[in-house]
Amino acid sequence: MNGFRKEFTTYSIALMAVAIAINIGAGQIPRAVGLPLYLDSIGTVLVGVLVGPWAGAVTGFLANTVWTFTGLFPQAIAWAGVAAIIGALAGVFGKSGWMKEWWRAGLAGVITGVVAAILSAPIAAYVFGGVTGNAGTDAIVAAWRAAGFDALFSNVAQGTMSDPLDKAVTYLIVWAVLIALPARLKTRFDGESTPARKAPARKKR
Amino acid sequence: MRGNSLFVPGDSGLHRLHPLTKLILSLFFLVLAATLPSLPWLLTAFVLLLPLAIWGGLLRPLLKSSLAVIIPFVISLSIIQGFFTPGETQLFKLGDFVFTLEGWLAGLKVASQLLLAISGALLMMLSTRPDQLMLALTNAGLPGSLAYIVLTAIQIFPRFQERAQVILEAQQARGLEINVNIFKRIRLLVPLLGPLVLSSIVDVEERAMALEARAFSRAGKKTSLLVLKDSGWQRTTRWCLVLLMIALIGFRVWQVFV
Repeated sequence: MNGFRKEFTTYSIALMAVAIAINIGAGQIPRAVGLPLYLDSIGTVLVGVLVGPWAGAVTGFLANTVWTFTGLFPQAIAWAGVAAIIGALAGVFGKSGWMKEWWRAGLAGVITGVVAAILSAPIAAYVFGGVTGNAGTDAIVAAWRAAGFDALFSNVAQGTMSDPLDKAVTYLIVWAVLIALPARLKTRFDGESTPARKAPARKKR
Repeated sequence: MRGNSLFVPGDSGLHRLHPLTKLILSLFFLVLAATLPSLPWLLTAFVLLLPLAIWGGLLRPLLKSSLAVIIPFVISLSIIQGFFTPGETQLFKLGDFVFTLEGWLAGLKVASQLLLAISGALLMMLSTRPDQLMLALTNAGLPGSLAYIVLTAIQIFPRFQERAQVILEAQQARGLEINVNIFKRIRLLVPLLGPLVLSSIVDVEERAMALEARAFSRAGKKTSLLVLKDSGWQRTTRWCLVLLMIALIGFRVWQVFV
């Protein structure tokens, strides 16, 4: 429990509240640009990497609670456990130094996406009768069902088509943010998990 | 906090109930949705929930919000369960796929379970201010920091949505082209999300200092400006509902295994 307490300072608690607002604010950008991504866990991953697995898990869980309360996505609370695991994984990847190179950050995102897809599928299959209420993803589920697969497999298949890409992009954005983060703020966190900032290469004239 | 959450201000008896009573009530409807055996039972339970909404003067917002969630589910569930659940009664055929009555009813059962669970939750969220609910949970033992995170996030997220919109417009004004192919669009995310996330993190420092200036991390009991009213009959009702839930779950488990 010592690690748990260490992660909950006034500073990290303020960061968690802002991270949840980042999740909601960033989540509308892909729609505005016309990309089929969610990008609704950037804040969660950021907290996981900067603070640690416990803080990441708490942020993920509370983020889905807040989604429910705002009425933007009332069924979000059913996936709060998955969101908590996404945050915890981000903490583990951060602590083991996977956020230092862009390709390992991307790989961490793909792994997180596969885990998220496998964990969310039973919720969609058994709680929501095999659908998510989203026309696009449900059409993909219907296509897999039409090909003869059962509800659980069809939902895993649908998830693995979208989640790894979504989480890989999420992790790459977090990686880019960590590089751009002012050193003054970075020193507040464990320096082990963030990439070093390189001096920008000058163009030869 | 108005406009950010589902809460509809009011002064009805439902609004004045202790938040924990309403939370337990919504959990009770969740348990009902999970344990009631068939479509008629579920719809009956939903009809019994409506007088509570009328008592709170919340019938319109409740139906509006719950139907907005449930209608896409009814459509998806009807199609997926109707075509892919085997059954005796064929309603119609589409190519090789048969739409069965049994499948359709199975889909509608799941939809009505969702309707009951979501309406129960909405009943609480529409009639309870988030800060009062969090205070009730804090008094019951939830760490104050978690309540702070939830309440702050609910309060500030509209500003972040606005900020995302402002960044989008600012970058477009500088010539950011949105109508490009899908791979180039992924690269657009960096100039859009980078400033959003970075500017937000800079905010955190100020927030943390403001919290510390108000003795946020001080140990010990803190007093609250809000006072929640509780009563004997509400405490009794809460315990009765908890016992009923345990009985319902026990009965269901017994049915499955025996």
